[in-house]
Amino acid sequence: MKNYKSIIAVLLAGTMLFSLAGCSGGKKDKDSSSKGNQKTEETGKVDKDGYILKGTDTESKSEDNDLVIAIEGSVSSMDPANIPDTNAISATRGVYENLVQFNEKNELVGQLAKDWEISDDSLTYTFHLNEGIKFHDGTDFNAAAVKANYDRVVNKDNNLRQRRTFIVTNDDGSEEPRVASVETPDDYTVVFKLTKAWSPFINRLSQFCIISPKALEEYGNDIMNHPVGTGPYTFVEWEEGDHTTMKKNDDYWGEKPEVDTVTIKEVPEAGTRTAMLQTGEADFVYPMPVDQIEAVQDTKNLNVLAADSNIMRYVTLNMNLPELKDEKVRQAMNYAIDKNAYVQLMYSGYGKPATSVVPQIITGYEEQPAYDFDLDKAKDLLKEAGCEDGFKLTLWGDNSTQEIKGMTFVKQQLEQIGIEVDVEPMEPATISDKIYVDADEAEVNMWYVNWSASDFTMDGSLRSLLYSSMCPPVSANTAYYSDKDFDKDLDDGLTNADSDAQAKVYADAQKRAWEACPWLFLGNDQVIYSEKTYLSGVYVSPDGAFNYAHAALAQ
Amino acid sequence: MGRYALKRIVSAIPLLIVISFLIFMFIHLIPGDPARLIAGKDATKADVELVREQLGLNEPLPIQYGKYMKGLVTGDLGYSIKNGKTVVEAIAPRFEPTIMLTISSMIWATIIGVSLGIISAVMKGKAVDYIAMLIAISGISLPGFWLGLELIQIFSVGLGWLPTGGLESWQAYVLPSLTMGSGIMAILARFTRSSMLESMREDYVRTARAKGLSELPVVMRHAFKNSLIEIVTVGGLQIGGLLSGSVMVETVFSIPGLGRLLVDSIKFRDYKVVQALLLFFALEYIVINLIVDLLYGVINPKVRYN
Amino acid sequence: MAEMKSTVNIQNFEDAEALPKPKSKVKEFVKKFTKRKTAVISFIFIVLLLLAAILGPYIAPYDASQADYSNLLQGPSAAHIWGTDEFGRDVFSRLLAGTRLSLASALSATIVGTALGILFGLIAGFYGGWIDSLIMRCCDILFSFPDILLAIAIVAILGPGMINVIIAVAVFTVPSFARIIRSATISVKESLYVEVARSIGCKNWRILWVHIFPGTIQSMIVNFTMRVGTAILAASSLSFLGFGANVTEPDWGAMLSQGRNYLNTAPHIVLFPGILIFLTVLAFNLLGDGLRDTLDPKMS
Repeated sequence: MKNYKSIIAVLLAGTMLFSLAGCSGGKKDKDSSSKGNQKTEETGKVDKDGYILKGTDTESKSEDNDLVIAIEGSVSSMDPANIPDTNAISATRGVYENLVQFNEKNELVGQLAKDWEISDDSLTYTFHLNEGIKFHDGTDFNAAAVKANYDRVVNKDNNLRQRRTFIVTNDDGSEEPRVASVETPDDYTVVFKLTKAWSPFINRLSQFCIISPKALEEYGNDIMNHPVGTGPYTFVEWEEGDHTTMKKNDDYWGEKPEVDTVTIKEVPEAGTRTAMLQTGEADFVYPMPVDQIEAVQDTKNLNVLAADSNIMRYVTLNMNLPELKDEKVRQAMNYAIDKNAYVQLMYSGYGKPATSVVPQIITGYEEQPAYDFDLDKAKDLLKEAGCEDGFKLTLWGDNSTQEIKGMTFVKQQLEQIGIEVDVEPMEPATISDKIYVDADEAEVNMWYVNWSASDFTMDGSLRSLLYSSMCPPVSANTAYYSDKDFDKDLDDGLTNADSDAQAKVYADAQKRAWEACPWLFLGNDQVIYSEKTYLSGVYVSPDGAFNYAHAALAQ
Repeated sequence: MGRYALKRIVSAIPLLIVISFLIFMFIHLIPGDPARLIAGKDATKADVELVREQLGLNEPLPIQYGKYMKGLVTGDLGYSIKNGKTVVEAIAPRFEPTIMLTISSMIWATIIGVSLGIISAVMKGKAVDYIAMLIAISGISLPGFWLGLELIQIFSVGLGWLPTGGLESWQAYVLPSLTMGSGIMAILARFTRSSMLESMREDYVRTARAKGLSELPVVMRHAFKNSLIEIVTVGGLQIGGLLSGSVMVETVFSIPGLGRLLVDSIKFRDYKVVQALLLFFALEYIVINLIVDLLYGVINPKVRYN
Repeated sequence: MAEMKSTVNIQNFEDAEALPKPKSKVKEFVKKFTKRKTAVISFIFIVLLLLAAILGPYIAPYDASQADYSNLLQGPSAAHIWGTDEFGRDVFSRLLAGTRLSLASALSATIVGTALGILFGLIAGFYGGWIDSLIMRCCDILFSFPDILLAIAIVAILGPGMINVIIAVAVFTVPSFARIIRSATISVKESLYVEVARSIGCKNWRILWVHIFPGTIQSMIVNFTMRVGTAILAASSLSFLGFGANVTEPDWGAMLSQGRNYLNTAPHIVLFPGILIFLTVLAFNLLGDGLRDTLDPKMS
C-alpha cells in the first residue's frame, strides 16, 4: 500500500540519519581504540611549565584589546566580604586589593601593605602600608580605610560572611573575637592585636579586601552593585547570571594593566566554552573539561595548561559503624581502590592520585606510603578482620554528573572485595540536612565529598574534617575520627607560627590520619584551563580563582 | 458579557490563594537546609545558626506565612538567599530571555503546526497526510532535552552553522525554539487536522462545495474560519505551559531564563525566589486560561450562560 | 389487483442455523485495528519491548554493570554493537536491562494514577456537592502546573529514588482519568436517579460500576496508552535534571543524563538511549491513536 511504504521509508531514513550521526562519532573512537593502551598512556602528560598542549602559533595577534574570560560557574556577588565562591573572588580581584596576596608561585607577598612584622608571641601583626594609593573614587587609601573595612565586617548588623574570619561563635551563642584591637598609629601603619595566637590569620587577610570608606558610607550594603576599590580595573557593570565587565584603571598605583576591558562571561555548557575559544569570542576559558582537550588538539593558536589545586577528593568512612570500626577493614578498602584508574577515569589522567591526607600544594605536605592497588592484600586484611563475607553500605554524594561518576567507580571497586555499595546521590541541601545531625541520629555510612582550604593552610585542610570535636552537627568530621594526639598536633600548629615547628607537628598529624584510614583516599584535581596564544598574564591559582591583573593581549 | 467575565475573574481568586498557600507549604516541606550551604563548608554549627537567624528561617511557619502573604500584597517579595538581592532584582533580568524564546517558539510552531494540520485535513488519507501526522506525533514523543542535545551536536559542533547556546544572535534562537516548539507544533497540527475535518463535514461547507466552488477557497474561507476559534483556544492554552516548560531548553542551551532560575533556586533552597516564580507561573497560566475562556465566550455566545 | 413488486430483499432461511452469525465484537475490533499499519507496527514494537523486559538480562551479550576500564567510551564496533560508556560497560546490554526498569516504572506509575483517578472520579461524580467541587478544584490546580514542574516538586520533597518518581508521575496522571470517570458517573447517576433513591447504598456502587465502565472503557484505554508515553518522558526528564531515580541502575533517562558530558567525544552514549526512549514513546502514542480511531464509531 502506498501509505504503508511511505511510512517505512520515513522511518528508515530517520534511522539512517541517526546512525550516521552516531557512527561518525563512533568511528573516531574506534580508530583511537585500536591504539588501545597507547591512548591511556598518552593522556595525563603535563610538561614542566604546566602545558598540556602548547600552541605552535606564537605570533598570533588579538583582534581587539578586550579580554574575555569564559567561566563555567557564576559570579554570585560583587561584595568581597560576602562571597561564597571562587568565581566571585576572581571577579572582585579585578577591582579590589588586599593587604597581602598569594602570587603566581603561591607565595604570600604584600600587596597594599609593603611589608609587615609579627611579634614573637604571635599576637601582634604590624603592617606598613604602601603610600600614594587612591581608590577609584579619588579618596586616599590609608590606615583609616583598613580600620573602616574591619569595622564594617565585624558589625553584626551587616550580615557579612567574612565576619566569621574575625569572630568565633560558640555553640552556646557566645562570641570570641580573634582580634582584640585594630590600631592606626599613623596614616600608613595598621596594627592588629590578636586575642590568641592564630597562625592562619595572615593567610586569611589575603581575602580581606579594602573598599573605599566613602563608597561604603554612600552605598552601605548595596556596595555590591557599586564596587569602588584600589584595583587595576574599575567596575563597569555586573549582570548576574550573564557577565561582569571592568575597564582599565588609568590611575592605578602599580603596574598599569595593558588590556582595555575585562569581561567575565558565564557559560555553563562545556562545549560552548570551547567553541567560543576557537572562534575567538573568548580569550581564556576556565575550567577546560578534559574531554574537550582532544577536540582542540589540532588548533595552533591555543594553549591548554594544568596546575595543581588544593582540592582533596575522598570518601569519609563513619568509624562508629560496626562494619567500619576495625582499622584493618578500612585499610583493606583503601587497597581495593585503584587510584590510578580513578584519575584516569575522572580526569582522563589530568589529576593526581592521593598521596596524603592533603594535596601536595598545602604547606607542610608530606608524602605518605601509598596504598597500592592490591586486591589480594585487601581480601587478606578483610579476612583477618573477620569480614571476608563482606557487608553492605550506603554512599552519599552530590547529584552532579561528575560526583555520580566517582561514586559509581567506588562502588565498582569495592564490589571486588565483596562490599556492596548503594549509591544515593542527593542535592547538596538535602545531604546537608542529613549529615549535620546529632550523633545518635547519624545515618551517614560513606560520604563522597571534596574539600579545598582556600587559605592553603594545613589547619584549614584538616581541622573541620578530622578534629575530634568537629563531628556533626558542629562540622564536617563525618568519619567521627577522634585521636587526641592528632588534635594536639593541630593545636600546636595553630598557635606556633614557626615554620619548622609547624612542619614537625603537621607531619605527625598526616601520618596518624593516613594510617588510621578514616577515609578512602582518592585523588587531587588539577585545575585545567585554556587560552589563546596571544594572551599572557592570566593564570588560575590552585584554589580555582583566576588572576588577570597583568593580562596582556598581543596586538 | 461583563457579568460572565466578572464571575470568572472572581472565581479565579480563591484558586490563586489556595495555590499560594500550597506553594508555601511545598517549599517548606522540602528537606534541606540552605543556611549551611550559604554559611559554607567550614562553618561551625554556631555560624550556621547565625545565618539561619539572619535569614529569618527560624521563625515559626505561621509567622513566615503571614509575612509572605503580606509581602504579596505590598509587593515586597523578600530577598534572595544567594546574594542578598531582592527577589524582584533577581528575577527581572530573567524575563526577557524566556519571553523572547517563548514568542519565537510559538511563532514557528503555530505556522508550521497549523499548516501541517490544514494540509493533512485537505489531503486526508494520502501519503502527505500520513507523513505530516507522523512528524506531528514525533513531536510529542521526543524527549525535549535529547532533541536539544542532538541538534547541538549536529548543527553546532558538527556543522558549525549555529551557536551552541545563549541568545546573542538571531541564529542562537533557531535551535532552542525548534526544541521548545516541537511539542506545541505537534499538538497544533493534530488538533487543527481533526478540527478541520469536522468543519469540512459541516453542511454549509458541503453546500459551498455543491455550489461548485473549488476546493482550496472553500477550505480556507469556510472550514478554516470555523476551526480558527478552537485552534486559537488550544494554542493559547499551550502558551501557559510553555513559559514554565522552558526549564529543559534553558538548561540545555545555557539560556539565563526563568525556568533555569527556578531549578537552580530549588536546588539552592532559595525559598523566596522559588515561591515568587511558582506563583508567577501559576498566575500566568490562570490568566491566560481566563483570557482564552473569555475570548471563547465572546465568539461563541452559547458558552456564556452556563 | 396489481401486485406491487417488493423492492425489499427478503431472504428466506431454511432454519435457524443458516442465519448469519452475529459478528464477534473482538473480531470486528481486530479487523479494524489491523487496517492501521502504524498501530500494528507500534503494537509489535511494544510486544518486543515487553519481551526484552522479561528476557533482557538473559539474552544480553554482556552483564549490564560489567565495567571495563580499558575500553572506555568506545564507539559501536563488532564487540559492542552500540559501543561502551564512560565505565566501559556495554551500552546495548545496559539498554536491554534498562527496558525492564523503565517500562516497569512507567507502567506502575500510570496504573497507580489510573486507579486513583478512577477512585476520585467516582467519588466526585457520585457524591457531588462540595466533595465534587473540592476534587475538581484539586484537579484544576494540578492542571495549572506543567507536568515537569510538578514532578520536580514532588521528587524534591520526597527525595530521589524510583518509588518517588513513580509517585510523582502517578500524581499528574490522576486528573485526566478523574475527569473522564467523573463525567461518566454524573451522566449515569442522573439517569439512574430514581432507582438510586430506592436502593440500598452499596447496591449503587455496583450499578454505577456496571454502567459506567463500558461507556468509558475506550477513552480510558486510549488515555492510558498515551499516559504511559508521558510517564516515560517525565521519568527521563527528571533523571536529566538530576532529580531522578537510582543512577547506577541502567535506567534509560539516567544513561542519557550521565552521557551528556561526552556528547562531543562519544555521542553514541546519548544517541542510543534517546532513540530508544523516542521510539518507545512514539509506539505508545501511535498505539493510542490507533486504538482511538478503531474504537471511534464515526471513523470507518
